[in-house]
Amino acid sequence: MRVKFESRAPLAFHDSGAHTHRRLVRANVVALNWHKTRGPSWGATVPVQQIHTYLVHPGKGGGGARQINGTGVALRDRLFNLLDGIYSRSEQECVIDIIFKPTDGGVQQNDCRDLICAYLTDPTLPNGRAIAERLESQTDKRSGLGLLFLISGREGRDHKIVISRFPTDSAILVEENPRTLDVEFLERVFMKNKTSYKAVMYRDSSLRGGIWSGKAIDKQISFAGESSDYWIADFLLSAFAVTPTQGTRRLGTALREAAKKSDIDVKQEIIAAATLAGRLGRQAISINDFEQRFNLSQAAREAISNELKSPRLAEEQFEFVAAEFNELLAFRSKELSNGAMLTAPSANFDDVFKQEIVDEATHETKFTTQGTVVNDKLKPTV
Amino acid sequence: MTNSNQQYEALQAEYKRRYDAVLNPLAEALRAFLAECLKGELRIDRVAARPKDVDRFVAKAPKLNDGRPKYAEPLEQIQDQVGARIITFYPTDVARLDPVVKKWFNPIEFRDHVPESEWEFGYFGRHYVLAIPTDVIDDRWDKAMIPRFFELQVKTLFEHAWSEAEHDLGYKPGEQPLTSDETRRLAYTSAQAWGADRMFDELFRARTAKAGRATV
Repeated sequence: MRVKFESRAPLAFHDSGAHTHRRLVRANVVALNWHKTRGPSWGATVPVQQIHTYLVHPGKGGGGARQINGTGVALRDRLFNLLDGIYSRSEQECVIDIIFKPTDGGVQQNDCRDLICAYLTDPTLPNGRAIAERLESQTDKRSGLGLLFLISGREGRDHKIVISRFPTDSAILVEENPRTLDVEFLERVFMKNKTSYKAVMYRDSSLRGGIWSGKAIDKQISFAGESSDYWIADFLLSAFAVTPTQGTRRLGTALREAAKKSDIDVKQEIIAAATLAGRLGRQAISINDFEQRFNLSQAAREAISNELKSPRLAEEQFEFVAAEFNELLAFRSKELSNGAMLTAPSANFDDVFKQEIVDEATHETKFTTQGTVVNDKLKPTV
Repeated sequence: MTNSNQQYEALQAEYKRRYDAVLNPLAEALRAFLAECLKGELRIDRVAARPKDVDRFVAKAPKLNDGRPKYAEPLEQIQDQVGARIITFYPTDVARLDPVVKKWFNPIEFRDHVPESEWEFGYFGRHYVLAIPTDVIDDRWDKAMIPRFFELQVKTLFEHAWSEAEHDLGYKPGEQPLTSDETRRLAYTSAQAWGADRMFDELFRARTAKAGRATV
C-alpha cells in the first residue's frame, strides 16, 4: 500500500496507488482547546517513535476475511510533520474522557485495551494490524473505508499512542498551468476535518496498571441529536468517563445552587436556560457547551463556575439525560388571568404557594405565599 | 542492607508520602461523594471509606501468584489503595444497589465474593473496582500520587461485622497465620452470619409482600 501526501494540502491524503504527485484542495484546521492529561510527566512531550497506517474496509457482519494492507510511515518529511502535529495536539483536541469497560460478566479485561497494550509493548506492523482488524470487524458500510494511523512513542516511563481514523471522501484536484486549468475528480481522499473524523489518545506511565482511561474525539458526536457508538462503544469498547448521571447531576446541581445565590437577573437567566434544557435530547455536552448553547451572560457563567470544585469539571463531556436533569431542577410556573406569574421549584411549588379555590364554577383560585423580599426588579416590557 | 530491604523501604516511604498527601483526604472526599449519590436510597446503614494503611500495603505488595510476583508495579497495580463500603440491611438491598452504583460510577470490575466450595463458609460480599470520580480530586494534589481506581464493597450488616472481625484476627502483618481449628471456628461464625442474613431477608420480603409494597 502506498500513501501519498500532497505538500500543498497538509490535512488531506490521497491513496494514490500508481498516481503521481498532485495538488489537492486545502482544508481548514479545526480550532483546538487545551486539556490536561494524566501522567507523571505533566506537560513533558513524548516524541513520536513509530507510525503505522492501515487501509480499513467495512467488515462488520463477516463476509469473508480480507487482508488488511498496512505500512510504516517514515519519521521525516511533510506527512510525518502532519501526523506529528496530530499527535502533539491530541491532548487538546481529544476532548471526550473515556474509559474501557470490563467484560459483560465483570471481569477486568477488555479486548481492545489488550490489543493496544500489546502494540505499545511491541509496536510492530502485525501488532498494529490486529488493531486494524478489530476496527474492520466493527466498521459497517455506513462508516465505509477509512485510513487508520497508529502514532506512538515512549519517554522514560510514559507511553503515548494516538489512534486516528480518517474517513474517505472525494475531492477535486486542480492543476493550474499558464494558460489552462486541469480539473480532475479524485476518489479515496482522506480528510481530517470531515465530520466523521475520529481519534483517541492514551498516555500513561504503566501498561500493567494504566491505559484504562483515554481521551477521544468523534466529530459525529458533536452534532446535536447524533451519537456514534461505532468509535467509542463498539471499536474501543469504552464508555464516557463521566457517567450520564454524574454529569447531568453535576450540571443540574451547579445551576440550582447558582440560581439560589444570584441576583434576580441571573436567577431568571438560569431558570430560563434550565427550563429549555429539560427538553434536550440525549447528547454529548459539557457545562461549557451548555453555557454557550444557551448564550448565558458572563455573570451567569461565573455564578455556575463558583459552584464547581474546579474549572476542569466544566470541560468534561457527558451524555445529558433530561429525565435526571428535570428530577433535580424542574421549575414550575403558573400564569394567572390577572397577569401574575408564579414560579418556584416544582418539588416544593405547592408548599411555596398555598392554593384556595374561591369560585368552583370559574376555577378562580387564590394563591398565598409568605417570605422576605431578596430581589425586587422593575423590567421594561420593551 | 540488602537490595530487597532497600526496595521495601523505598516502597514504604513512597506509599507513606502518597497516604499522607492524597489517600487520606481522597478517602474522605469519596465518602462524602458516595453519601450524596445514595441520598434518598432506603436502608443504608452507613457509607465509609478509608485508605489502605501503610503496613497492609507493603505486606500486600510482594504477594506471589503461582510463585511469581503478582505486582510488578505495586503503586500502579494495587487498586484498593482507597476502599469504600456501603453497608445495607438485607441481601436484597445489595442487589438493589447494583444499578445505582453503575449509574454513578464506571466499573472496570465487579463480582460477588463467595467461597469456592458450597461446603465452605467465609468471606461474602459484592465488590467493584471503580474509576475515581473527577469530582473528588483536588487540583492541588500531585497527579502521580492519585490512584486511578478505588474498591467499593457493598455488604449487609452481618457481612460487614464478620469481615471486620475476621480481618482484624487473621491478617495482621508479622503474626502467625490462623490454625485450621481457628479457621474452622471462623467459618462457623460466617455460616451463622450467612444464615442470619437469609432469615432477615426472607422476613423482610414476606412482610413487605403482606403489606402490598414492592421490595424497593
